[in-house]
Amino acid sequence: MITLSNIEKVYQTKTIETVALQNVNLTVPKGEFLSIMGPSGCGKSTLLNIMGLLDIPSSGMVTIDGQPIQTYKDKELAHIRNQKIGFVFQSYHLVNDLSVLDNVELPLLYRSSISGSERTKRAKAALEKVGLSARTQHFPSQLSGGQRQRVAIARALVGQPEIILADEPTGNLDSVMGEEIMNILLDLNRLDGTTIVMVTHDENMALKTERLVRFFDGQQVSDAKLFATFQQV
Amino acid sequence: MIRHLFKLIWNRKKSNFLLITEIFFCFLVLFGVLSFIVYNVRNYSKPLGFKHDNVWLLTMRPPTDSTAQNRQIMEQVIQRVRTFPQVEHASFTSSNAPFAFSQMNNHFSFGNAKSIDADVYEVQDEYKDVMQLNVIKGRWFSTNDNAAGHEPIVINKAFQQHMFGSEEALGKIIQVDDTTKFQVVGVTDYFRAGSEFAAEDPAVFTRINLQKNLNYISNEMLIRVKPGTGIDFEEKMMKEIAGIGKDWALEVATLEKMRQNKAKVTLVPMIALGLVCGFLILNVALGLFGVLWYNISRRNGEIGLRRALGAPSGQIYRQFIGEVLVLATFGLLFGVLFAVQFPLLQVFQVESEVYFTALAGAVVLIYLLTTICALYPSRQAAAIHPAVALHEE
Ligand SMILES: Nc1ncnc2c1ncn2[C@@H]1O[C@H](COP(=O)(O)OP(=O)(O)O)[C@@H](O)[C@H]1O
Ligand SMILES: [Mg+2]
Repeated sequence: MITLSNIEKVYQTKTIETVALQNVNLTVPKGEFLSIMGPSGCGKSTLLNIMGLLDIPSSGMVTIDGQPIQTYKDKELAHIRNQKIGFVFQSYHLVNDLSVLDNVELPLLYRSSISGSERTKRAKAALEKVGLSARTQHFPSQLSGGQRQRVAIARALVGQPEIILADEPTGNLDSVMGEEIMNILLDLNRLDGTTIVMVTHDENMALKTERLVRFFDGQQVSDAKLFATFQQV
Repeated sequence: MIRHLFKLIWNRKKSNFLLITEIFFCFLVLFGVLSFIVYNVRNYSKPLGFKHDNVWLLTMRPPTDSTAQNRQIMEQVIQRVRTFPQVEHASFTSSNAPFAFSQMNNHFSFGNAKSIDADVYEVQDEYKDVMQLNVIKGRWFSTNDNAAGHEPIVINKAFQQHMFGSEEALGKIIQVDDTTKFQVVGVTDYFRAGSEFAAEDPAVFTRINLQKNLNYISNEMLIRVKPGTGIDFEEKMMKEIAGIGKDWALEVATLEKMRQNKAKVTLVPMIALGLVCGFLILNVALGLFGVLWYNISRRNGEIGLRRALGAPSGQIYRQFIGEVLVLATFGLLFGVLFAVQFPLLQVFQVESEVYFTALAGAVVLIYLLTTICALYPSRQAAAIHPAVALHEE
């Protein structure tokens, strides 16, 4: 569970001050599939970064599973990210010089307790889940956009995180491939109980999720349960 | 994690090729220069085998070619020199006095078994006391040798090792060409007279026998004076000698001064080479620094990603340092393969230890250099804010 209370984020550059988020109060219960929509520049990515402990709010409080994180040091934040959070980005962010398998193994590399063979085993299992077992030795440049995003999802889920934060995961994909990705995320949420927060521009995608929060100019403007729709899928 | 780094570097071998080549060449240059320095330092650290303080070299050139007359004056001069209370010992010598810019060598053979080149020092019996040589086996020359059957010869330790190995050298007959035969009567300890940086090469002493060889002329005399004897005595001595050998060209130099001059012959190129090498390495370092810096700015996204996946900032720092060390390892791998050929094939007549010391030194220096070059860029990489690095429009 993630709780944001009274979050404000201000970007201060030499000349201008940008208020990216203002008075955000949001609770994402365990197991929820939440989608976030809003025009470009309204602070969606900023919000996801704060939830993912990649950025700290200018004011307000973030708690993960009831633990307030503002006192945590870099190392502890990194540990929580590694253990509890998986990230999926619009532009995949794969390491081009690593094979598909090595890319998926990356999060496990930062867990000292896992042996090399165990890493490989888990990475293969994760790739199996996204239907890419046949591509483990390929390099990202040899894959289509949809395949790359599936690798990124395998990487996000390989460490069995409680939460997956996806920032426009289908933004660079055509509707067929986007559909594929969406189905994988839905499966993850329903079968494994993974909490998912997804930023999207696609109304249809958003409507498949449990709850939709809309943002405008750094502020929450609506919050709707889509439970009925969600059931139908 | 180390395997991961090797994989990263290996998969990027194309773009890393230049860096690896640069490290490879840098290593070779360092290896070469270090070999040269180690060789000289090792030689320098060995004993000279003689004491040159308070020893003067008197050079006297006669104005005419009249052997008989010159020989007479020559003998008068040494007799006079020996009578000064300030003089402890004096000996004629061939022109290759210690630290002189003059060499004399010959080819010696022992039966049909073995033959080597050696420096030859023609000296009088007093030479041992002038130079304070250390005879470790057998004896030095004496007047008894006037009647000896074979010409006596004293060899140094290196000659003993090269010619006879562990065999007894005393009493052995060695010869130059097929004519002149010498019998070994003594073995000295070290004797490295060329310079302080001279290798420990074989050397022999042969005896100047003025009674037998009536036409023998020597132009150089080594004089050991009492400690504290200075310029006053030098002037007085020269005045007297000038009185004996009229119109002779006379010159005195201290061996200490000659040592300094001779040392420059090695030191100057060594320092010059060191400087050139230093500049080269500075260049390589700057290049390396630039490339690392550029690579890191290109890999912003990857850094942000790794941070998101759970790498603390310190881990990023270590990764980038680690990558550079792996790069260096690749360059060194090729470099060492190349460099070990020198001791293995005995390319020059230099002890293997010199090469191995230089090799180890060059490896350590390359790792040190690359680490230093990587420190700052890696710190920058570690300081990159993940949210900023991952920011996408
Ligand atoms: N690192 C930053 N420095 C300064 N301004 C930023 C930074 N990141 C985002 N912003 C600004 O904050 C606002 C919100 O950005 P973002 O969260 O990326 O929007 P969205 O993801 O909704 O398009 C924008 O005006 C953007 O320009
Ligand atoms: Mg965004």
